[in-house]
Amino acid sequence: MSEAIASLRAAEPRRFGEDGLAVLVGIGVLILALVSLYGRDLLGWAVTTAVWTDPAKALGAVSKVYAGLGGAGALAATYVALLVVLSAGAAALGGDVKKFAIAFTFVFVLAYASWFVGSWAYVAAVTPADQAKFGVSWSLRLTNEGGYIVALIAGLVIANFFPRFADWLKEAIRPELYIKIAIVLLGAFIAVTAAGKLTLASSLLLRGVAAIVEAYLIYWAVVYYIARKWFGFSREWAAPLASGVSICGVAAAIATGGAIRARPQVAVLVSSLVVVFAVVEVLILPFLAQTFLSSQPLVAAAWIGLAVKTDGAAVAAGGITESLVLAKAAAEGIAYQPGWLIAVTTTVKVFIDIFIGVWAFILAYVWTNHIDVKPDAEKARPSEIWARFPKFVLGFVATFVAGLALALGGAGPKLAAAVGEANTFRIIFFILTFFSIGVLTDFRKLWREGLGKLAAVYLVSLFGFVIWVGLIISWLFFAGVKPPLVG
Amino acid sequence: MSDQELRDELKAPTEPLLPIEKKLIGWSLGIGVTLLVLLAVVNHFLPVS
Repeated sequence: MSEAIASLRAAEPRRFGEDGLAVLVGIGVLILALVSLYGRDLLGWAVTTAVWTDPAKALGAVSKVYAGLGGAGALAATYVALLVVLSAGAAALGGDVKKFAIAFTFVFVLAYASWFVGSWAYVAAVTPADQAKFGVSWSLRLTNEGGYIVALIAGLVIANFFPRFADWLKEAIRPELYIKIAIVLLGAFIAVTAAGKLTLASSLLLRGVAAIVEAYLIYWAVVYYIARKWFGFSREWAAPLASGVSICGVAAAIATGGAIRARPQVAVLVSSLVVVFAVVEVLILPFLAQTFLSSQPLVAAAWIGLAVKTDGAAVAAGGITESLVLAKAAAEGIAYQPGWLIAVTTTVKVFIDIFIGVWAFILAYVWTNHIDVKPDAEKARPSEIWARFPKFVLGFVATFVAGLALALGGAGPKLAAAVGEANTFRIIFFILTFFSIGVLTDFRKLWREGLGKLAAVYLVSLFGFVIWVGLIISWLFFAGVKPPLVG
Repeated sequence: MSDQELRDELKAPTEPLLPIEKKLIGWSLGIGVTLLVLLAVVNHFLPVS
């Protein structure tokens, strides 16, 4: 149950909380990175990992200015910086700083070790040319972003085989915080990517609107009907469940539970399901996308955004999908520009997130005025829309606008380098997200809590309806649209 | 909520769909399909350049 409680804790803050912290950290990192535009490199010490066969040569600082630090020095500097900033954040959120610092140390070491393993040439090398370059006769061809999968599996092993250790780590297991920081950072990266092809980028934005309609108006209604009519769930269970499957997972289930005045346990139990199924999707869907959709890269990206629930799992799965699809295209001699697939996945997810508050208000209005009418009960108020608005989206928009303005203002290669340094931290927060999601996912809890019937609704809806309709809509709106080629 | 309580609750008699729930489902699907068709038309006439 601890993972569900953690999920609830992570999804609750629609006030200043994790969202506000994510915006502060994300914008702070970007500002420090942008100082390099004026000739002073403040973040070049961040650690980066190259595909390796000799582990001694794997790690290094992202900027040549800090090459003297060496791999170990860059890793230590990155760890200390993150420890200080996130411990201060934990204090601001009212957490136990000492517990957080100790737990975060283990989380960082295990998560980055997973990333390191994922960058081993036997795991990461993709093309025969790569294999020849690294002198390996075979490889799993997962790209170096296969490290995300390794981090997820490491977390799953801890959650399912070492539950006491998983519980001990929980103070630093904050996937929602980590992914929100990453999404804020992603705003600038997407802006720099989009600035070169503004017409294409705006066309993709227009197509992203379909995702909002699909999630709220199509998915929700069908899943609610299935839960109520086929599985006989009460309204109190069916509404959060429909939001969890249809919209953006944990946050939507919590928001809906609050809107219809459900008991807190209902949203907690639904959230635990959301996390488990999101992990299953992350382990399966990117590889299906690579196998069947590599000729339509943006269809694959939009599909991942629509099918994978929870922001963390979806955006991170978008990153893996981009690596896998681009690697397959590269093996066929097509070099797509990186960044476009993850931009589409993130846009789809952020567009869906924006309307959580509006949807929660509509449900609250219907429930308090027509379904659960109590004379003295508090009625739905429009202020709930803002209260439930995911504030980290504002950070994403701010970094996107800043990045776009600088790119269009002619900041050029220097800006790309600066955003690249910020992007190094985005990757580290992705790694922490994957590891954390794994640690929260104890598959045995499903049966212990008697959630089989809830899981059945989720399974039927997700794999019988949501991913297929998502695929059709993604195909309808993104088929034939290709990312720009390199050069 | 204990395992037993949860099991009992999930086995409780089905609440019938109220007219307002049917309306919510119907209007959602109706508006959703209409908007998707409209967006598809816009998509057709404004191809990606």
